[in-house]
Amino acid sequence: MDNVRGLGRMLEEMAKKQKKKQAILFDNREVSYRELDENANKIANGLKSLGINKGDRVAMMLPNIPDFIYAFFGIQKLGAVAVPFNTMYKGREIIHILNDCEARAIITMTNFANLINEIREDVPSLEHVILTGQRTMVFVSPDSTVNVQMVVSKDQFESGDAAFRVVGEIVIETLKAFGVDAWYKHRGGVRCGGKKIATILVSEVENLLVINCLTFLGPLRTEDFFRVVWVSPEIKDKVMEPMTSVEEETGTRPSVGEFKERLLAALQSQMGISAEEGQLKRDELFGYEKTRALADKK
Amino acid sequence: MSEKWRLIFNPDGDAADMVAYASALVEGRIAGKYMLSTEKLPNTIVVQGVKQKGILAGADVDINKDTAARYNIKVANYPRSGRGGPKPVGTVNLSDLLKTSSRKFNAVETDPDAPAVLLYTSGTTGRPKGVTLTHRNFAQQCLNVSKVLPLNESDTIVLVLPLFHVYGLSNGLISGVYFGTKMTLVPQYSPAKLLEAVEATKATVLIAVPTMYMHVLQAAKTRKTSIPKSLRLCVSGGAPLPLTTLREFEEAFQTRIAEGYGLTETTSSVCLNKSGEAFKPGSIGPAAEGVEMRVVDDDDNEVADGQEGEIVIRSGVVTPGYWNNPEATAESIRDGWLHTGDLGYRDSDGFFFITDRKKDLIIRGGFNISPREIEELLFSHPKVRDAAVIAVQDKREREAVKAFVVLEDGETATEREILDYCSENLAEYKVPKIVEFRDSLPKSATGKILRKELREGYHDDRLLEKAGADTKEQQHG
Repeated sequence: MDNVRGLGRMLEEMAKKQKKKQAILFDNREVSYRELDENANKIANGLKSLGINKGDRVAMMLPNIPDFIYAFFGIQKLGAVAVPFNTMYKGREIIHILNDCEARAIITMTNFANLINEIREDVPSLEHVILTGQRTMVFVSPDSTVNVQMVVSKDQFESGDAAFRVVGEIVIETLKAFGVDAWYKHRGGVRCGGKKIATILVSEVENLLVINCLTFLGPLRTEDFFRVVWVSPEIKDKVMEPMTSVEEETGTRPSVGEFKERLLAALQSQMGISAEEGQLKRDELFGYEKTRALADKK
Repeated sequence: MSEKWRLIFNPDGDAADMVAYASALVEGRIAGKYMLSTEKLPNTIVVQGVKQKGILAGADVDINKDTAARYNIKVANYPRSGRGGPKPVGTVNLSDLLKTSSRKFNAVETDPDAPAVLLYTSGTTGRPKGVTLTHRNFAQQCLNVSKVLPLNESDTIVLVLPLFHVYGLSNGLISGVYFGTKMTLVPQYSPAKLLEAVEATKATVLIAVPTMYMHVLQAAKTRKTSIPKSLRLCVSGGAPLPLTTLREFEEAFQTRIAEGYGLTETTSSVCLNKSGEAFKPGSIGPAAEGVEMRVVDDDDNEVADGQEGEIVIRSGVVTPGYWNNPEATAESIRDGWLHTGDLGYRDSDGFFFITDRKKDLIIRGGFNISPREIEELLFSHPKVRDAAVIAVQDKREREAVKAFVVLEDGETATEREILDYCSENLAEYKVPKIVEFRDSLPKSATGKILRKELREGYHDDRLLEKAGADTKEQQHG
């Protein structure tokens, strides 16, 4: 077999030949061979701009969505090596694969951002985490959850990592006040034994950090939620990773008010910050109403 | 002097508040930065409870609003974030990357023997190994397919198998592009969704695994509307397809199913048993053009037709080896022949039959599971002294994992405790279905666990009895 074409070239030639003919049919949408080729080119250029070169390994943890195909052929066009792996894999399995192939980047679903964040320190080669899709989900319940949000200047913390760590410490101290012995798993998970009791997500926008922390005060019954959202098994499996709550650990469920008091004490002792109760200002109220209207739509 | 933040306490909010407060605070601060407002807004902490169950969902999440209303669940959506919206710290948005990058790029020249893809697969020796597949491997696979099962530009192929698995990637996606077909993407498999996709896109080619054919057939039978008849060709692989299912499916969909056999190490299929042509029940077919297949004894000598041995393969589709693992490569590929670990024989017509597995591998739904990997995880549990893992059959006659556990002296543990530990660390399909506690495990004189003695009435999922294909068929029917 002479003249073996690389996989990137294979797509390129087919796109020249097929042009506007449909390549991908997905969710009532159609993507032509030319569009497929151009999207692969954009990924190749994008990866190149992140410093990914020929021969580098790029991991992919994606279901069968068009982005899988764009990413796969983008990697091929760059002459890099695609490492697609099972979306059902858990932290320990993912660490093994990423380290074994020394992946420099991973392309995955936004849902898995927390999972990848948690293991990032265990994978020294991993420089870039590239996220796609808006499929994140948060379940809240009066019997179970309390959510803490912080909107602060970026300069409040040395780095994103530091924000995760400090907030983790605050949550641990708060839980300790209720008699729960929790520990911080880097970037995102607060656990009790092997079970998750709180999740932290740190996002950035312009010069601000938006920190979300959901803590379980009582057991979260998820059956009702899964009647309402259809979730693929691998994502459900991760949403459903073993969880616990203050009530399950201590026999008592604190109120949201009690939680707030302990949290403010921890904020004071960990960061030397006191918080005074206030309300949204006029400009903020406008934004609040606007977002609520958008959130309720659809 | 201690720093002061503003606290907003909202104990009786709802799911929409969670996105609305964050967004209001962000917008207020950014507006302040651009001097639209003179007021300097402080760092803020919001503590929120909810008075009603709720889901806060990304724009792409599929939600049934009617069911939500019935169960009194408040649904709130994150507004679709444009470029520059909040993103998890230290990450890149793929959509940003797409928007800012040029759509022109010429594929770089690649060495045909350079790796294109690494696919991690479990063997018997613990953690998954990376199978290196080169551009040449894929080109050869496409060439082989063009000889035995050519597709063409007017075909529409259904991509329902996961693309991270060799079967869906090589025989689905890459074949699809090689032949210039349309490709129907099914991101989330359910029999109804697959059936809908076939119908909506008038698909002509389906590649799937046996359980999918069984389920889709069931779903089609109970449907009131007509069964789509557009499929001209189907391929089944990963496990044997019961003959009754094959026949019924062909009849109902007016199509043909070819059964394939292949490994990650061979860039997917290496032989095909084509129904309607020279078809032999229970066989994996003859070797495809471009593939040499033999049956050998323990000393790598070829055995006579009809005699059982290990199936070995030589072809341009065979991997050059495992990533960073010369030992495993040397053990698996000897004199250019890939040793599959599958035992079988060849009949006088050149058709191959699989009879057993040489290695202690468990295969569930086409995914390899290494008993060793699960045993090693169990060893790492502080209460576990010894452990062994074997394959058993579940209710649907698929292979499932069973663990035997010996606890440290004086320790007690529940099955749940062991299973939770596995769930935390392993993909769900690898998590044991049963845990049996034992005082000790059967071992050989050299200390090797005798897995065979742990098996009771166990038989191989891929095993089609030499003469017993009909018996198996009745079990399924």
